[in-house]
Amino acid sequence: MLARVAADFYWLGRYVERTEHTGRLLQYQLTRLVDRPADELAIGWQAVYRALGQFPPGVSADPDEAETYLMVDAYTLAGSLVEEGSNPASMLSCWERARENARHVRPQLPLPVWTCLNQGYLWMRDSDFAGAWSKAPAALVREAIDRLRLFAGVVDAVMYQDDAWRFLELGRFVERTQAQAALLGAWVEIGRGDRAASTLSWADLLRVCGAYEVYCRSRSMEVQREAVLHLLIRDPGFPRSLRFAVQRIDEMLAGIDPVGARSPLAPPHRMTLHLAAAIEVETTEASGERDSIDFFRSIGNDSRSLHALTMAAYVDYSLAEGLPA
Amino acid sequence: MNRGVYEPGTSGHGGIAPPGAAAGGLPEAFAKYDLDPVFYDETFEPDGSPRKASRRLIAALAELAPEDLAKLQDGVYRRFLYEGITFTVLGADEVTEQIIPIDCVPRPLKAMEWDYIERGLKQRLAALNLFIRDVYHEGRSLRDKVVPIDLVLGCSQYRLEMRGMKVPHDVYVAVCGTDIVRTHDGFAVLEDNLRVPSGVSYMLACRNAMKGAFPELYRAHQVREVADYTERLYSTLASLGPSSRVPRVAMLTPGMYNSAYYEHAFLAGEMGIDLVEGRDLIVRDAVLYASTTAGLRRIDVLYRRIDDDFLDPVTFRGDSVLGAAGMFHAYRAGNLVLVNAPGTGVADDKGLYAYVPRIIRYFLGEEPILANVETHLCREPEGLAYTLEHLDELVVKEVGGAGGYGMLVGPHASAAERAEYAERLRADPANFISQPVLALSRAPCFVDGSLEPRHVDLRPFVLQGRDGSHVVPGGFCRVALRRGSLVVNSSQGGGCKDLWVVDG
Repeated sequence: MLARVAADFYWLGRYVERTEHTGRLLQYQLTRLVDRPADELAIGWQAVYRALGQFPPGVSADPDEAETYLMVDAYTLAGSLVEEGSNPASMLSCWERARENARHVRPQLPLPVWTCLNQGYLWMRDSDFAGAWSKAPAALVREAIDRLRLFAGVVDAVMYQDDAWRFLELGRFVERTQAQAALLGAWVEIGRGDRAASTLSWADLLRVCGAYEVYCRSRSMEVQREAVLHLLIRDPGFPRSLRFAVQRIDEMLAGIDPVGARSPLAPPHRMTLHLAAAIEVETTEASGERDSIDFFRSIGNDSRSLHALTMAAYVDYSLAEGLPA
Repeated sequence: MNRGVYEPGTSGHGGIAPPGAAAGGLPEAFAKYDLDPVFYDETFEPDGSPRKASRRLIAALAELAPEDLAKLQDGVYRRFLYEGITFTVLGADEVTEQIIPIDCVPRPLKAMEWDYIERGLKQRLAALNLFIRDVYHEGRSLRDKVVPIDLVLGCSQYRLEMRGMKVPHDVYVAVCGTDIVRTHDGFAVLEDNLRVPSGVSYMLACRNAMKGAFPELYRAHQVREVADYTERLYSTLASLGPSSRVPRVAMLTPGMYNSAYYEHAFLAGEMGIDLVEGRDLIVRDAVLYASTTAGLRRIDVLYRRIDDDFLDPVTFRGDSVLGAAGMFHAYRAGNLVLVNAPGTGVADDKGLYAYVPRIIRYFLGEEPILANVETHLCREPEGLAYTLEHLDELVVKEVGGAGGYGMLVGPHASAAERAEYAERLRADPANFISQPVLALSRAPCFVDGSLEPRHVDLRPFVLQGRDGSHVVPGGFCRVALRRGSLVVNSSQGGGCKDLWVVDG
């Protein structure tokens, strides 16, 4: 397929995943607005913003102190991540970019997939944000998440599993690896203090990841750090675990470039296997907080490298390499 | 007149209704329908009775309450909205993506009328292809003064680079969209679009929407099908490529911000071919390649939807980033087929339009089937004088203009606007033509909750491949949705409706 089109599918997958990830974090925090004290909310906002690599509106650096978030009202903090057009990381901006990518690949995109994405975007663009914030802020984000999950379902249901689909899935899971690593790193790092530890509970982390019910069913009602991290890092059956995401990346790359998946390994495959090995052998669950933070940081860096290697191998290669033999 | 054969001026011509009779004869649903005898009505006879092809449609509309029609209209609008059936408007500061307005009332056309149009279109395209070939080779028609030589050589669309070039199967124009209007005098060609005509995707989208909105009515009408257009388009393009192997066909778009991007994406998707942009392309050793995830892949036939100027910065405009450097070299070397061929614009220039009837007679030895609209060439002193004298009665257009931009509609312009335009005419008369304001036919449209007449035109599409031509039985039927407006362009308040070619 056309290299540019592959890149558009890849970014389509990334932006949709990013929008949903932001939505889940926000849903967690907006639900807490109802019954949590201000200092706990500030810690929650700090975790959300750091996990997304964002700074609060009007602040030019990552504030170390959660108190910074007390100076901004909740709806400004939420609005910046949901509707703010000038913030490229807001849900609306990401959805718009996903739609732009989808418009680029309209010839390859089944009509139901396009329609679902477009309809969802138009719904969000035309939403009454002020009204939503004053009535039920979490409901708006919840509907956005539902629409994005519907999109994922339509993709699964109707898309032919060719390279277009593989690049879309590749984008989704590279984004997921990067975003999950950032979320877990932020949660561990911010949760080190006593006050923060009681606020950023492991049960809440499971809820943010949509894993609480899975955890209770497969592990125990008693939520423990070690078991939580094992589920979110190494459980091969949980779709948001790092291991699951890297396994999917490996499968997608093997489909896109079967030769590159064999020895000598192509650079993206090599990096994927490196990531898989790091996740497999790591014992973060039993390690100290400092080691855990370093581990998640390293996974984040490696997934960024994987992105660059994928673009270099399949999209931005040199002409000399591309000419037919 | 032979039975069952349409001839111009025989369908509803004349017979102006006495005052009051027309309105009295219309069904109740058409209470606000003003049957003005000045305009040919596509649906009603002058006495208010439905034309034969429209009887079922009128009966069905008469049974629908305005709320039902509003619901249908809303349904087709939403379908267009969610499917993203849009066009792009380039403003001074921003790019706006707009849904093309669709009207939910189809426009029926008798099959015998359509057959007449089809014959006329095939004749016209055959002659124009011969003319373009002649212009770039022997130039017989120029020597024989069929067309003034300076009109051709001075045309901005004339491409010196095409001189003496062998074009596969002598098909210069493979895809043509011809604008046709109807008045009380019959059908007439308003414009030939021989470069990159747009609109066929809206025709297909309108048809799908109408099938959904009026399933029973559609079945009852036995409408001629248009759904195979994209298959035929692909066959046409492939037929012009190398016959030794399955040709690799691609479509070239300027990108997402082009006004017709929806159409480019739609057609490429339907044909299963790559929709490439300039940044995907590279020429090596006079071969055009596209950059794919598995390396560079050769392209044999390129259905380009960008103007000549932007195809190749080495040969044409040096600042173009929409094409690929060396593309024309690949074309000259015979390693690539460009559809339509560069330089075809020389035959759809508005100045040359006036000579098309002579071109048909010269190359085919036949009388033109489809009439032209009376045209005054301002490049000729008498044409300029007439235009200046009758500026308040005429439509004046730039010869290279398109999309309804840059023209003057005399009767609707202010004295100051006319004076300003007259200055432009005097300064560069060769750049203008003038035509009478046409009493474009009207058809019912559902506007603001009621059925009202609006002016319409029609752009049918002709495909010319290696083995012959085909006219898709339908077209992009444009509607001037503003009351009283004659401008049907979507960029200026126009919309579209489905055209049904019906037997009987």
